[in-house]
Amino acid sequence: MTNTAPLKIALPKGALYKDSVELLAKAGLDTSGLADPGRLLAITTTDCCFYIVRPTDVPVFTSLGGVDCAICGHDSLAELGLDLIEMVDLKFGGCRFVVAEPADASNKAESRYLRRGVMRVATKYPSITQAYYEKKGVQVEIVKLHGNIELAPFCGLADRVVDITATGTTLRENNLIIVDEVLTSTARFVGNTASVRTDPRIRALAERLTKLV
Amino acid sequence: MIPITPRGFKDVLPREARWRESIVTKTRETLALWGYAPIETPTLEVLEVLELGGTLTSTPFKLFDADNELLVLRPDVTLQVARMAASRLKKEDLPLRLRYAERVYREEESQRALSRQFTQIGVEAIGLEGAYADAEIILLLTDALKAAGLRDFTIALGTVGVLRELLDLCVKSGAVNAEWSNDMLKAFHAGNYVKIEQLTQAQGLCSNYADVLCKLPTITGKAQAIAQVESMVAPLGIVDGLEQLASTYAIIEVLGLTSQVSIDFSVVSAYDYYTGLVFEAYAPGLGKALGNGGRYDRMLEGFGASAPAAGFAVSLECIMQALLNEESVEQALTTKPLLTVNIEDANPAAAFVAAARMRADGQAVSFGSTSKKAEEK
Repeated sequence: MTNTAPLKIALPKGALYKDSVELLAKAGLDTSGLADPGRLLAITTTDCCFYIVRPTDVPVFTSLGGVDCAICGHDSLAELGLDLIEMVDLKFGGCRFVVAEPADASNKAESRYLRRGVMRVATKYPSITQAYYEKKGVQVEIVKLHGNIELAPFCGLADRVVDITATGTTLRENNLIIVDEVLTSTARFVGNTASVRTDPRIRALAERLTKLV
Repeated sequence: MIPITPRGFKDVLPREARWRESIVTKTRETLALWGYAPIETPTLEVLEVLELGGTLTSTPFKLFDADNELLVLRPDVTLQVARMAASRLKKEDLPLRLRYAERVYREEESQRALSRQFTQIGVEAIGLEGAYADAEIILLLTDALKAAGLRDFTIALGTVGVLRELLDLCVKSGAVNAEWSNDMLKAFHAGNYVKIEQLTQAQGLCSNYADVLCKLPTITGKAQAIAQVESMVAPLGIVDGLEQLASTYAIIEVLGLTSQVSIDFSVVSAYDYYTGLVFEAYAPGLGKALGNGGRYDRMLEGFGASAPAAGFAVSLECIMQALLNEESVEQALTTKPLLTVNIEDANPAAAFVAAARMRADGQAVSFGSTSKKAEEK
């Protein structure tokens, strides 16, 4: 197969973006213009086409072949469970998925669970949450929200929340305490099955990234 | 009510149907040239029976019939052919070379751009084993893809033997259990190299095993990739599958197909029925494999017979998408010119007589109506 076309790489906007760009530059890619993309969503450099996408959409862009490879948080990969190759743990962008509940109502969730037989949990990540509670053998009702999950227990929407946290500050400031850990996540270098197996540039890049982290 | 089709199911209109028909016809002719005979399988199967051959690799549609039998819409043809061969055909009929083009049905989650119905074109070679048989399957796949009109495709070959033997050694060493081995197989299947590395950090696992497990999915290339793996695993006493893979690849080299067929040890399948060669075919821009296959020498055992078997299946819809990406469609869409004979109200039979004569000469003819035309004006 011919590999004359520029390599297509998706980058997650937001928390992982800056470190991703720096790492790719260190790995020898031309990342000019990426540091300050303004409103541009697609940036072409001498060797690559970069696409800046929402973190939770990176697996979709990658697995459907929209891009060849990408940098993506393990959390988004775990949530969507799409078919792609997870090549390198890039070690940055560490965060945890935790279960939290209101600090002043500890054990209330447990006692309500005992009475009602089902735990109500608000989250942005329904698949991860479902899998976690299934493993624990706890029956759960999931309320999917798109943001400000911290509010849910205080409005009576849910007993607990499953959310992502890097330092725990937001949870603390919103009077929530962590009661369990669901999983830890870091950034990963991923690619779709076909591109990884047909374009040697991706594996070469994976090898350089492995040496850098 | 809006007259929709169920999610992931669609109508095929003439323009697309003609294209599909032409691809199926061309590939069918090629498979026939290799001596493969056509078969058809039932749309429904008894779930319990199908599962005798191995774990179903996808989520099938299930239904109960009036006899209270749990049925599935065929999610895959390979298991059906194994059932058919084991129950209907006698040993002396071997080897059997069979081909099919069938619709398959699978449950898929919504909003993932996945259709729940697609067409598989495939072959099964039953009773054939060894490197020649493996080479036949690979070469047949390249011929079939070329016949379908694809120019830019790659086939990646691997073998499940090495990994299986290595995992057995790990378990036998006592450092890890069967569950770990299963997790490892799944991680290989899913292409999760990070998970593979995490699993190799298991307490007490021999560092030689761990090294090979981490390196294995990164080894790709031509014949030298097989040699490289051999040099890694021979000291551990593992030989399974490598010699046969090397002999198969030697044939592919002689035929000058190394630019299209490569060795890739990351290609393994977690599905329990694969026993040796495994492969996937890719085309640019598709993201996933457009077809796959391998050797499953023990599948027929589940159905009470014993014969080696290998085969492949490619998705017609994936081939079409790949052809669209190659922009070589327009040529494929040209059809025979169609003539129109007008039916005169005074003597309608004359038009049918004239048309019959033209069709006998191979000319496509349809009818127009003079009176109808007048009405439209």
